[in-house]
Parts: sequence; structure tokens; C-alpha cells
Amino acid sequence: MSQPGDITLEARNIHVAFGGIHALSGVDLTVSRGIVQGLIGPNGAGKTTLVNVLSGFQSPTRGHVILKDRDVSQDGPQKMARAGVGRSFQAARLFQDLTVSQNLMTAAIGTGLGMAAARERSESVLEWMELSHLAEQMGGSLSYGDERRISIARALALNPHFLLLDEPASGMNDAECQTLMRLIRDIPARFECGVLLIEHNMEVIMGVCQRVHVLDGGRSLAEGSPQEVQNNPDVRRAYLGDDAGNEAA
Amino acid sequence: MKTAELPRWQAFVQRHFAVLFIAACLVVFVAVVELFASVLVQRVVTEALIRIVIVVGIYVFTGNSGIISFGSVTFMAVAAYATGWQTCCAMLKPITMSGLPSILRDHTYPVYVSAATSVGLAALLAFITGLILMRLSGLAASISTLAILFILNVTYSNWETVTMGTASMVGLPTYITPWLALAAALLAVLCAWIFQNSARGLLLRASRADEVAAAACGVSLYWSRLIAFTLSGAIMGLAGVLSAHFLGTVSINSYFLNLTFLALAMLVVGGMKSLSGAVVGVIVVSTIIDVFRRIEVGIPVGDVTFSLPPGTQELVLAGVMIIILMFRKDGLMGGQEFRLPVRFLRQHRRSLEAKDT
Repeated sequence: MSQPGDITLEARNIHVAFGGIHALSGVDLTVSRGIVQGLIGPNGAGKTTLVNVLSGFQSPTRGHVILKDRDVSQDGPQKMARAGVGRSFQAARLFQDLTVSQNLMTAAIGTGLGMAAARERSESVLEWMELSHLAEQMGGSLSYGDERRISIARALALNPHFLLLDEPASGMNDAECQTLMRLIRDIPARFECGVLLIEHNMEVIMGVCQRVHVLDGGRSLAEGSPQEVQNNPDVRRAYLGDDAGNEAA
Repeated sequence: MKTAELPRWQAFVQRHFAVLFIAACLVVFVAVVELFASVLVQRVVTEALIRIVIVVGIYVFTGNSGIISFGSVTFMAVAAYATGWQTCCAMLKPITMSGLPSILRDHTYPVYVSAATSVGLAALLAFITGLILMRLSGLAASISTLAILFILNVTYSNWETVTMGTASMVGLPTYITPWLALAAALLAVLCAWIFQNSARGLLLRASRADEVAAAACGVSLYWSRLIAFTLSGAIMGLAGVLSAHFLGTVSINSYFLNLTFLALAMLVVGGMKSLSGAVVGVIVVSTIIDVFRRIEVGIPVGDVTFSLPPGTQELVLAGVMIIILMFRKDGLMGGQEFRLPVRFLRQHRRSLEAKDT
């Protein structure tokens, strides 16, 4: 949990409504630096909406987003990125006409660096992720797995305080998942940031997260260590139906 | 291949090969034309070089941002008239353009001073209009640039005491030689290359590819677009000065939809995602236009004159555009810049590795 003085990214009583549909209803979540926090829930639970709110792509209908003790609820995605909130998307969304190196440099320049410093940061991130051999390849020519990893690298090139990853393992095979898990586990220490990880692959969630937050139907259902969440009957019910929840209880 | 492995000058050549290749080709071509071609061909080549300035001017904004600008020709017209007011017909100005301020009506200025001020005026106008237009995105931004073109056309067409309305302003000094047009084309190409490889250019190209992902990278599009639009306005201004002093006349109807769509066609044919594409598009389309223009006039073959009906060049150009849009939507260059041949790079890498071992 966060300590006084720690930098945190907080969602406080977040409500998001699209017309009559309530995507999020009173969600509270705190992302702390130094740990990987999982965000799970069935399809339509509101996970991506919450990440959109935290990264400035979606303004909350009610509630507040607090970053470094400042209300940033109405800040757009550019401001949030420059303030240290990096994110990846469900689709990799690389800049197809730019090289991998230029993809990363774009993020570094977005934080205010000049070309030379941006190139240096790009090289350093690629080297850490052991992807330097891809530096001069075009974004549109990469394999699926490489695309996903480069999208994470690009978010890391922002040098973020908080990194929000939206289903980074989707479509990856077992070997790629293992590599990805090692990578995500190492990110908080290497970049001194907090990671919020949306993922359907429970092996990844259990393997890398220190804490897990569960959403269901736009509401917070549970929060705790991966084991606590795994054994929570409400969570089992949300994922597997009423019978599973009753058996566990 | 890492450029860091190469000696400095080779890394420089590799990184800037596209612009060096374009410059070398144009210089050699103009030299050959100057030495061996007729005056008529020299004029055709000069016209093509001016078109390179026009298309590169449009490319700087449209190519990098992905927003098609229908209004870039506006800045060309502004500069053409500005240089006309400063350099033409000292005796006639008080009669034909009596509404001009005294500083223009009663004085004539050196051509290079007028060129510089006219380009500056075009850039300033682009900056001021850009302050408003660059807040828009996508189709809205494109249509708003078209609105600027219409506003200027209607204003200049009806401002008879200053622009002579739809009549032509004549008597401008004609000092544009192929070498001068070449220098201007090279300057335009160089400016475009420097911009597209700058931090602002990179951000703009990223936003062209994916605006949402660019926003997630902290990219604020407004200033990047405004700088590109202003630079584009300056280059279009240069093109306006060149065309005015190449033809010796300025007419508002020369800077309207025909020229806009011809320039955009060149950009589409070559490929609007690369500077090399912009230049290739001008060369290919200019060649098609010139060849069919000559055939329309008639080519004597023995005792018979072979000719095609008037308008054939437009039909052929339209056909070429349709074919390219169908089979190569990123244009002839496919969105790529000219690059050193892969075989050369492989050979060079092998020789470097051999040296290391």
C-alpha cells in the first residue's frame, strides 16, 4: 500500500456513463510506484474504461483522478503522458510508417527531450528489452509479438511514473508470455514506476502482480493479493457463475 | 544497419541519401539541359522545377501531417501579387492599381528584396490563418484550407484598384533561369528534409499514422502543425515569386483550383508520404503533360502530322491517377524515400566485419 509522501495515481469514486449505460460506478483504485498491480474482471467490467480515465482519454462523469496530490480529472492524454502516465493499447497501435527507434523517440520527444537525448533514451530502452536488433525496422513490418513488446517499449520511453498496460499478453504463445512476464516483473525496479496490468491470462496476473483489483459490472468487487483474490467467492462467481461462488463459499 | 559502425561521412551519406540523390539528379539534369537543349525545353524544365517547389511546399504540411491542404496555393498567390506590386510597371501602377499604398504604387524595388518580403508575407499569412485552422483535424481542417483559397480568390478577383481584378498584371521582370529555379527547388527540398527529420517533423509524422497513439505519447499536435503550415506557406510563397517572374504576369485565376488539383495529383502519383515521392510525382506528371501537350499540337511523321484531340493530356493524367490509386495507393514511391541499394550496404557491412576480424 502507498505510504504518505509516495507518488500515487488514484481513482476516487469514478463514475463514467455513456448515455444511459454506466460503465463505471464509484470505482476507487490506487496505483503505487514500485509494484505491479493487476486489474481483472469479466468482459465489459469496465477495465479499459478505467485505464482510459486514468490516462486522460476519458473524462469521468463524476469522481476524481489524483496524480501527485493534484486533481488531473480533466487533463487530456497529452498532459497525462507528460505528467508521467504511460499506457499501451489492446491493439499495439505502433506508428507504422516510422522505424521502431522513431516510435520510441516520439514518446521521448513528447516528454520534452531533444532529438539526441530522445535517441539515447530509445536506444537504452531497446537495449534493456533486448530489442535493439529491431531499431531500424519499420513499425508496420514487425511480427505480432514484437509489435506488442515495442508498444510497451514506447510507453517506457516516456520514462513514466505509472505504466498502464492493456492486455499486453493477448495473442501471445506460452514462450512469449513467459518472456513478457519476466519483463513486466522487472519494470518497476528498472524504471522506478508503478504498473497497472489489465490481463485475461490469469497465469500472467498470478505470476507478476503483487496486488490485484477486480471489477465487475463497473463496480469494484475485490482487492488484495493474488491468492486472496483467487480464493474470493465473489470473484469466482463473477468469472464462473453462481454455482462456482456457492461451492467456494 | 547501425550508422554508428560507419565512418562519419558514410553515415551522413546513408542518413541523407534521399536528399543528396534528388539534388544530384536535378543538378545533372539541369546541366545537361542547359548545355544541349533548346530554349523551349529549357522553359519546360524551368516550369517543372517551379512545380517541384509548389509540390514540396504542399508536401511539407500535407505529407507530414496527413491533412490534405486544398488552400496552399493561396500563399503562392499572395506572394506572386506582393512581388508584382513591388517590381512591375512603374508607369502603369498609378493608373491600373491606384488603390495601392504610395509605398508600393510610387516605388519599384529590387527583385531580391521583393522576393524576400513576398515570401515573408506568405509565411506570415500562413502563420496567422494557421493559428485558427490548426485547431481543426481531418476533413474539417482540409475543407477550412479550401475556404481560405476561396476567400482569397473572391477578394483578389474583386479588389480591382489593387489587384486589377481578374485581369492580368503584366510587365514583371522575368529573371528566372533554369539555374535559379534549380536553386529554389533545392532550397525547398532541403527545408522539407530538415523539417521532416526534426523533432517537430517526427511528432507530426507520428500523428499522421495514429493520432490516438500520438496523444498517448504526449504529442501536442497544434504547434507541430502550425510550424509545418507556416513553413509550407513560405515555400509556396517562394513558388509564387518564381512563377510570377518566370511568366512575367500575375493573374488570380492562375492560382485557383486547376493548379491546386494538378499539384495534389502530382503528390498522389509520387506518393504523399515521402519527399522523394513528391519530387518523383512532379517529374512523372510533368513529363506526361509535356509529351501529350506536344502530341496534341501535332508531331510530323514524314508527310503526315500525327496529333491527338485537345484534352487528351488531362484524360491520360486522370487515367494514370486512377491506376495508381487502384494498384499503388501510396504512390510510385510507396511512401519510401530513396535509399542506398541494399547490395551496397551488405557489401559494406561485410568489408567492415572483415576489417574488425
